[in-house]
Amino acid sequence: MAAQVVGMQHLERYRDMIPDFDEFLQILATPLPLTVRVNLLKTTANRLKEHLDRAGIGYSELRWYPYGLRLEMDRPGRMLEHLMGHIYPQEEMSMVPVAVLSPRPGESVLDICAAPGSKTTQISMHMENRGLAVANEPSAARIVPLRANCERMGALNVAVTKFDGRHFPRYQFDRVLVDAPCSSQGMARKDLKVLDRYSVKRSLDLHRLQVEILHRAISLVRPGGVVVYSTCTYAPEENEAVVARVLDRARLEDVALSGLSGSPGLEEWEGTDYGGELKRCARYYPHQNNTGGFFVAKLIKT
Amino acid sequence: MWADRFGLPPEVLSGLAFLRRGRMIWAFSGQPPDLPCETVGLRIMSLRESPWKPTTNALQLWGRQATRNAIHLEEEETRRYVAGETQELKAEVEDGYVVVLYQGEVLGCGLYARGRLISQLPKERRMDEGGQEECGCDMG
Repeated sequence: MAAQVVGMQHLERYRDMIPDFDEFLQILATPLPLTVRVNLLKTTANRLKEHLDRAGIGYSELRWYPYGLRLEMDRPGRMLEHLMGHIYPQEEMSMVPVAVLSPRPGESVLDICAAPGSKTTQISMHMENRGLAVANEPSAARIVPLRANCERMGALNVAVTKFDGRHFPRYQFDRVLVDAPCSSQGMARKDLKVLDRYSVKRSLDLHRLQVEILHRAISLVRPGGVVVYSTCTYAPEENEAVVARVLDRARLEDVALSGLSGSPGLEEWEGTDYGGELKRCARYYPHQNNTGGFFVAKLIKT
Repeated sequence: MWADRFGLPPEVLSGLAFLRRGRMIWAFSGQPPDLPCETVGLRIMSLRESPWKPTTNALQLWGRQATRNAIHLEEEETRRYVAGETQELKAEVEDGYVVVLYQGEVLGCGLYARGRLISQLPKERRMDEGGQEECGCDMG
């Protein structure tokens, strides 16, 4: 318990940044709702709902995304629908970046930090298994579950690569997703320990890595192409401060998903001015939608 | 094999590229990218056995369209299949690999021989009474 209090102290720096801060702290002690993504490569939302009805499993739809469901149960890994690859257990906020990226059938798309594959398989699904989705992951150990998940979901258009994202070889994609390595404070409802591991120094170290990966992503997309940058943390050093570094090469577009409550990106933090455009980014806090926490920015290469 | 054994309509596989790597056949949506890749596409068939064996993932993707050599299980038979068991079963199929379904959805691959259905579900996908291993999901 003492350790958790230490972890919570790392959030105090956000007291003025996060609206209704005490509500925010309270919801962190409650478990996340179980959400799954419907895998349209293997089933349809209606077929899945029929099977859930028959099995007596309660569910509700997400207000903002037609392919996600909240399930009233706690062991999705025991469902036949999981064995058959009809569902992918995925936190609701984790479905946001690909919805913003909005890949289309036949395009070429890179997921530059892909493991374990929740977003890669979501990209493949939006592309209706056509075109090219490259799933990149530098760690050999993390490629194993990435490959298994892509195959379980029936992805025919995924190629797996193993590069350091900062040095991904020259190629031209229509869209790139940078779901960056981060300090993961937004995952606290799943595991409060992520808060204990936090330090500002860790954010600043990650900042350097994140900027380099995002710069590479912009080099890899065609002019006019889309780069989505996302993290599951609140630290501005890993969010607005990263995006602000590439605005000489790309412009921001609004992240607006109707049905989802969020806050605009920060224009400044602790005396650092990031610029007015940064309000086009979106911050999603757990108490706004009863989810995890996420940051998303949509960039168009100029 | 997909058309001959399972009667799949040819358009299911049209437009796909097939690549052989080791003793596996992979299917990919189009031209593989000009990049050094770890893997490209989905493993659909193993050449390690004779006859060639379709993968669970490929059958789950295409098997609903099978018009031949498909077995529809009842609830108790399904429980035994997903536990990885072999069971006596009367079915109107030829001996060899079959598509196994429950409530109209594909569970995976079975080997049918001499009136018995042998589950071919990979060990890591099986579900038994005791409990299933953690799923390969992520929350992030």
